[in-house]
Amino acid sequence: MGLAIIEAKDLTYTYPTGDRPAFKDVNLKIDDGEFIIITGPSGCGKTTLCRCFNGLIPHFYGGRLEGEIRVCGLDVKENPIHMIARHVGMVFQNPENQLFALSVEKDVAFGLENLGVPREEIRRRVDWALKITGVYDLRHRAPHELSGGQQQRVAIASVLAMNPEVIVLDEPTSFIDPLGAEQIFQVINSLNRDLGITIILVEHRLDLISKYADRMIVMNEGRIILNGDPREVLTSEEARLIGVGIPKATLLYKALKAKGINLNGPPLSSDEAYKLIAEAMSK
Amino acid sequence: MSIFDGFKFRSESSPIHEMDPRAKFIYVCILFSSAIIFNNIIPLLILFLIQMPIVFLAKVQREWLRSMKASALFATLIFAMNFISLYFYAGHETLCSITERSAAMTIRFLVLIQTFSIFFLTTSPDMLGLALEQSGIPYEICFAFTTAVRFVPVLAEEAQTIIDAQRARGLELESGNIIKRIRNYIPILIPLIVNAIRRSMELAETMESRAWGAVKNRTNLYALRIKGRDILLIVSSLIILIISVYTSIYIRVPSITQMMHC
Ligand SMILES: Nc1ncnc2c1ncn2[C@@H]1O[C@H](COP(=O)(O)OP(=O)(O)OP(=O)(O)O)[C@@H](O)[C@H]1O
Ligand SMILES: [Mg+2]
Repeated sequence: MGLAIIEAKDLTYTYPTGDRPAFKDVNLKIDDGEFIIITGPSGCGKTTLCRCFNGLIPHFYGGRLEGEIRVCGLDVKENPIHMIARHVGMVFQNPENQLFALSVEKDVAFGLENLGVPREEIRRRVDWALKITGVYDLRHRAPHELSGGQQQRVAIASVLAMNPEVIVLDEPTSFIDPLGAEQIFQVINSLNRDLGITIILVEHRLDLISKYADRMIVMNEGRIILNGDPREVLTSEEARLIGVGIPKATLLYKALKAKGINLNGPPLSSDEAYKLIAEAMSK
Repeated sequence: MSIFDGFKFRSESSPIHEMDPRAKFIYVCILFSSAIIFNNIIPLLILFLIQMPIVFLAKVQREWLRSMKASALFATLIFAMNFISLYFYAGHETLCSITERSAAMTIRFLVLIQTFSIFFLTTSPDMLGLALEQSGIPYEICFAFTTAVRFVPVLAEEAQTIIDAQRARGLELESGNIIKRIRNYIPILIPLIVNAIRRSMELAETMESRAWGAVKNRTNLYALRIKGRDILLIVSSLIILIISVYTSIYIRVPSITQMMHC
């Protein structure tokens, strides 16, 4: 277990226009290097919670934030967004509105320019981030000429270049085709595995990504209702009742179990299911 | 094809594209002034022709042609206006000379278009923004400029989508009197504006998340540096300017009509 990189205590938030809290009494501890998936039905407050991780809430959105939240040792309420942005990178849903420069590399450089990093250092880190996310060859292209999947990888490169300890991604693949989504998930996984970056991923499509996660958090109506090992969370009764997008492999496991066929532990992907079934059949 | 295609930057690698926008800007100003100084057809034709190698060097001949085609109508208009007014007011001139003077004005217009088109075809808005920045204009303004340029095609596409969607629902744009026609555009403008506001909110959120405003002196990935070829361009432009001014003061350039005793 590493050190707590994000810690929220009794966190409750109400938007300036809201009459009731978007989330309530959230208690959460995330350790350095963890890969966390947050899921839950639409409107349950996932996006709102993510906005607290880099100070967009309360500094950009206003409203009332009660309780405590510390990110990378910084009190979110006390520190401006640009201070927290050095530690936490944010990737949003719509790739189109995250890229505003006229070339890919200029976009990736944007954050570093804002931080006043010297030019040679910017160049080095931009190239590094572009290579890791697999968009180095596109560096001179205009962002609006790229596919959604490519744009989203550029957006990831843009936050990666700032060398954050945490990257938060809010449904990064919801506008992207399945192949593009798969590539994005691979990039995200390698950021966590190879670079040790803490990942917080909000996602509905759990089939492709669950196997990489250390922990899964399920929210409903502004509260965290499940928080634990993905295999336990996904096989739980609550997850099914809320309508979490449980991977088909896990559903298959449960269906077989109901028929009295016990596989050795719930699988999270079709590869794992295949292995477990092959194992069970060879017995 | 829209008129603007003849001016829209397209990424391409050529010596002209790589030149410093400030050098190109000086070139544009000088060619503009030279074209204004002369009203004689021969120097104007020369100004037009000496820019052709640049068009080819920049590999933008297709776009250049497009800008020329797009200005054809306007050029014809200029020719006709000049011709008519000269015909009625400059009584004792021959038809040849009137034609020539009208043609000269038309060519002057084409020189201006051509110069403009070379500049915008070969200068990326990014570089233009950078040039603005390095000329001491506040970064916020330069950023607004490049972002606006970046989102023009996106908004244009969005407008088209909304028009198509509203047409599919039975909206008629081209009917009724002028007030009715303006009112027809309301169902298009409202979603467009709402979308633009939502978009700008998301952009602002992204900018904040990337440490916008963290330090006073932000740095830049690119730096403009005047290179040898930029100096060459500036010097040649200056020579053109000197020749133009000298010629217009000390040399009476004959017109073609005079030379041919027409
Ligand atoms: N900018 C805002 N101003 C006011 N209320 C908001 C704002 N954004 C979200 N809300 C409200 O906060 C609640 C939680 O919304 P949020 O966007 O966090 O949900 P979500 O879990 O991200 O949903 P989705 O899966 O659809 O993205 C909703 O009731 C929503 O209407
Ligand atoms: Mg959301």
